[in-house]
Amino acid sequence: MTRLLGRLTGKRLLGIDEIDGILARQDQILPSSGFAVSVMDAVRREAAAPPPIPFPWKRALPGLVVGGLVLALVLVAGVVALGQLGKTAVPQFSMASPSALQPPVHGGMESAAIWTTMALLATLVSVKLSMRLASSRG
Amino acid sequence: MSASDDQADVDRVLAGDISAFEGIVRRWQAPLINLAYRFCHDRGRSEEMAQEAFLRAYRALAQWRKDAVFSTWLFALATNLFRSELRRIPARIVSVSLDDIAEPADARASDGGLEDHDRDLAVRRAVWALPPKYREALTLFYFHDMDVASAARSLGLPEGTVKARLFRGREILRGKLPQRLAVPRLKEA
Repeated sequence: MTRLLGRLTGKRLLGIDEIDGILARQDQILPSSGFAVSVMDAVRREAAAPPPIPFPWKRALPGLVVGGLVLALVLVAGVVALGQLGKTAVPQFSMASPSALQPPVHGGMESAAIWTTMALLATLVSVKLSMRLASSRG
Repeated sequence: MSASDDQADVDRVLAGDISAFEGIVRRWQAPLINLAYRFCHDRGRSEEMAQEAFLRAYRALAQWRKDAVFSTWLFALATNLFRSELRRIPARIVSVSLDDIAEPADARASDGGLEDHDRDLAVRRAVWALPPKYREALTLFYFHDMDVASAARSLGLPEGTVKARLFRGREILRGKLPQRLAVPRLKEA
């Protein structure tokens, strides 16, 4: 099609060799005079910078293990609580007997209090642990 | 440029003599800046990109496995950086569409073809407008004096893939350029 167009317009089409010739012939740019010095300054800054502080795995490991266990416990307890809620959920929607709402609400309040206490304890432990880690490093 | 010079400088740097890195910078600054320039077509940015490439090379110097020459490793590292830089902040010229390139600017174009300079510029702009994978293959191919193996090593791709991309890239160029860049046909005898 393009060849036909070329014949009709009396023009020769640009060949691969010509495209190669054009693209191979690119202007070369020279580095600015201060380039090497600027790179070496950056390299020296890089070399002078203190090495990154490694993560204190040994110290953090007990905390991570405890945290993992607490998380697993919370998940298991959550699944169990959801299962129990499913069993007691049907009577809650009975409009005829509003008193049926009472036991789950009481149970919910108790479990909320337990979870809040556990969350506060976990927060306290993690804050104490991180403060201890930070103070021993300083 | 000697591979043994690079090897000696790398050994000195790894032994703690940072100043030996200057030899590497001085030997490879022009090629790296020119390579960066072919990616971004901006002189200032090409120096910034080349400097970042040298810094990365310095940080990763111990990772150079001496099974390939230093320049191959350096170009592969730089190419990788330049490609990701261009993905992060595209060059302004890349926004040119293939359909917008090389429209004749003056009357000569309609009867006598474009002047050489205009034609060269139009072909280069057509390359800038190619999809990145073809543009990168073409950029590296011409940067390495049309050596497919070197282009493939810099791109970290098999030679066959680079050849296919070169073929397809040039076909796209040819498909888009002829109507605009036809050269006046010489009268046959």
